[in-house]
Amino acid sequence: MLNPPVLAQALLQRLLPPETRESVVGDLLEEYRESRAPARGRFRANLWYCKEVVGFWRRSYGAFAVPILALFVVRDLSNVFRGPSGPLLNVEFLFGLITLSPLMFFLAGAYGSWRTRRWTGGVVAALGTFIAAWLLISAWWNATLYPFALMQQSNPYWIHAWRWSLQQTGVLSLFRIAADASFVRWAIIENINAQAVVDATMLAAALVGSATGGALGLVVPRRPNEASPVQS
Amino acid sequence: MADVLGAFEQAVLLSIVRLDDDAYGRAVLREVSQRLERDVAAGAVQATLDRLERKGLVRSRLGAGTAVRDGRPRRFYTLMPAGRKALNDARAMHDAIWSGLARPLKARG
Repeated sequence: MLNPPVLAQALLQRLLPPETRESVVGDLLEEYRESRAPARGRFRANLWYCKEVVGFWRRSYGAFAVPILALFVVRDLSNVFRGPSGPLLNVEFLFGLITLSPLMFFLAGAYGSWRTRRWTGGVVAALGTFIAAWLLISAWWNATLYPFALMQQSNPYWIHAWRWSLQQTGVLSLFRIAADASFVRWAIIENINAQAVVDATMLAAALVGSATGGALGLVVPRRPNEASPVQS
Repeated sequence: MADVLGAFEQAVLLSIVRLDDDAYGRAVLREVSQRLERDVAAGAVQATLDRLERKGLVRSRLGAGTAVRDGRPRRFYTLMPAGRKALNDARAMHDAIWSGLARPLKARG
């Protein structure tokens, strides 16, 4: 008999609470083998299965990615319209980044392991939150990079930041910026470099949060399910 | 009157009614998809079944597994009296709202 993708099955096992784990995995397997694969072929059946697994993750843990995305959106909008004075380092954003995102990953990990009674359930929840947040932030960032740069180039704050940044030497970055780079070019490359730093920071936070949150969730007791199933 | 059932909750409950003794997860998914004439996510159906069970509108039990499921059990759902009442209340409200209006609605003039 045909089997769905092994990784997707393993992820599904770690997304479900113990009460419904076996029956739901069995339902999707039955649908895959009896309906999807015969009717649409193995490739499209695999796509369907993966989409279903992502759907289970989204319904259970998708909300944890929203505050992280909101932090970036608010930060970007406030940056575009910020006043002419102020420190060049966005302290508020950095504070938010190093506290909010690890907190969300930790909470997702704790909730995931509490719900599934598996440490790996917490890891899947938290790392899934990281991937979702990363995808959403990347989409937002890349969509707004150029238009925001066009708006910022008439802001005295950003003109000062641009000139100051081009004078800095020895700064580690993914992409180098030429000393005579235009404002728009500088803004785009600066944001790409910043995105790489943020991605690495968030990934590290997700790994730590998933491990620690996952451990905490296991020790928090669950209330007995009042509608617990009765074996036939 | 109890909390009004949403449209999707009604679709799931009515699928359980129609399927009777065969109302297990995959069957409910297929019945709902057929009635709504669109692909429905298994996660949405499962989340709804879980919610309905927490509300006491349905009850579930595990049944025997089959080879196609690699022996994994099926979870069968049964409508409870509270679920039957909730469906009847939803139907009564629907009828009250539509009372006196033609179906389908037609434009004036």
